[in-house]
Amino acid sequence: MSKHDYSPGGRVAVWLYGIAIGLALFSGFGQMPLYNRYYLTSVPGLGWSGNFIALSELHYFAAALFMGLVAWRLALDTRAGGTWSWGPRSWWGWSLIALLVLSGGAKALRNAGVFLPPLALMLLDFVHLGSAMAFMFSGLVSLFRPRKKQYLRGGLA
Amino acid sequence: MAKDISRRNFLRGGLAAAAGVAASPIILPTAAQAASGRELCTLLDLSKCIGCEECVSACREQWQPTVPDPVSPMPRPFPAKVPVQDWSGRKDVSDRLTPYNFLYVEHLDVPHKGQEIELHVPRRCMHCLNPPCADLCPFGAGRVENNGVVHIDPEVCLGGAKCKTVCPWKIPQRQSGVGIYLDIMPELAGNGVMFKCHRCLPLVEKGQQPRCVEVCPEQVQSIGPREQILAQAEALARAKATEDGASPDKWQDYVYGLTENGGTTTIYVSPMPFAAVAAAIEQNHAASAQPGRGRAARAKQGGRKKKRGFGGRPPMGPVEDVMAKADNLSLALVLAPVAGLAAGFTRLFGKKFKADDGDSKGEAA
Ligand code: SF4
Ligand code: SF4
Ligand code: SF4
Repeated sequence: MSKHDYSPGGRVAVWLYGIAIGLALFSGFGQMPLYNRYYLTSVPGLGWSGNFIALSELHYFAAALFMGLVAWRLALDTRAGGTWSWGPRSWWGWSLIALLVLSGGAKALRNAGVFLPPLALMLLDFVHLGSAMAFMFSGLVSLFRPRKKQYLRGGLA
Repeated sequence: MAKDISRRNFLRGGLAAAAGVAASPIILPTAAQAASGRELCTLLDLSKCIGCEECVSACREQWQPTVPDPVSPMPRPFPAKVPVQDWSGRKDVSDRLTPYNFLYVEHLDVPHKGQEIELHVPRRCMHCLNPPCADLCPFGAGRVENNGVVHIDPEVCLGGAKCKTVCPWKIPQRQSGVGIYLDIMPELAGNGVMFKCHRCLPLVEKGQQPRCVEVCPEQVQSIGPREQILAQAEALARAKATEDGASPDKWQDYVYGLTENGGTTTIYVSPMPFAAVAAAIEQNHAASAQPGRGRAARAKQGGRKKKRGFGGRPPMGPVEDVMAKADNLSLALVLAPVAGLAAGFTRLFGKKFKADDGDSKGEAA
């Protein structure tokens, strides 16, 4: 693992990546009917967070942005090894993203009308939820850990 | 039925092919299943219905015992924002949808061409082709079977009522104090189980007919492969339009469920245009929303509470496809990573790699 910290796209990409993750997590957790129950929808300006259809569309948008950025990084990765200022830094991060993309993709296929066995879909729903939570906690750990250590271990978590 | 080949049906085939999964034994586009005769659809010829409610009784007899009684005392949700809904003391209610009543009959006098025409409309879940109730269920409790049945697994459902919120007809009904949420954090998350018509799935799986279809003395309902039922519905609706003095080309005005919410597997054919039926239903509901009774009444009076459901009595007006935008956005899910990969491999924006430590190894390749 090289010690170089590449920053493709500069600050814009860092921000876009952060925004995509933030929106995906917010709209994803909002798929559970909790925002209304716990008064988030009563917060001025957040009334829309109780609209499941809008949240679901936001989740699609965030997922598309996230996958676009991650695919770009993946392709760049194949051309230059090293550590990066954004995106996953370890097999753990990449594995979680793979799980999220596969389970989310299956759900999107179903939503587009493709038949998938309902029990498999339920399992995928829980895989999606579990890997999203693992991704969130790993991300938080990575954010608040001293940067030097990240390079030494080369990991997201 | 060219008009009925919707973008979604096209998308179904297209996406499946794009994903390279069409050949898999477990993943088949629903449209292909329909073609193979496995996606079932019901047709209700409303001119035959006499409103005897035999169907309602049969459904209640068969399925009411499968809906459990709540625990006592019932857990109180904290914070108290969500309502506890308990129908266990009102199991006899049969003039609306409840957790213990999956089917009711709307009795109408429909003003049409200067006459009042008696019409009876059995109402239950429409079993949509792309049901938001199941698609948006976060726990996989909402299910779509390959025979077109949309159902809710009572062992998994937590009763958050999201399915009801997103259903354009507000079909699923909540019974609090039952289900798996009782074993988790009953005060903090979940609120019971959602119940609705499952088109007699346990019977249909054994090759039997749904109870309401079977017991009807007038054979109001037929059930069969969707393509066959759609052809039957069109022929019937053309005849109804002609009898009503309209052009047979106006047959779609006499059909409900064909395009509503992007298409359903419950097709109604009426002797008059559905615009008239919808207006009569609306009038019926407004008349029964007596002052001081229920949420609908409070909404009518401009009261504090806004009308959120339909009081278990769904309207019959035009319904937009709830999942349409998600359909369009799913294309973005395919295009975005492809664009990302293309940009990466062509080193678009990638030439400006900079090493933090000022190292000169800045090129991507
Ligand atoms: S559908 Fe059949 S059983 Fe039901 S009310 Fe009409 S006539 Fe009676
Ligand atoms: S009518 Fe409502 S509950 Fe029934 S399948 Fe459609 S969206 Fe779901
Ligand atoms: S199909 Fe079965 S569950 Fe649905 S209304 Fe008819 S009898 Fe009831």
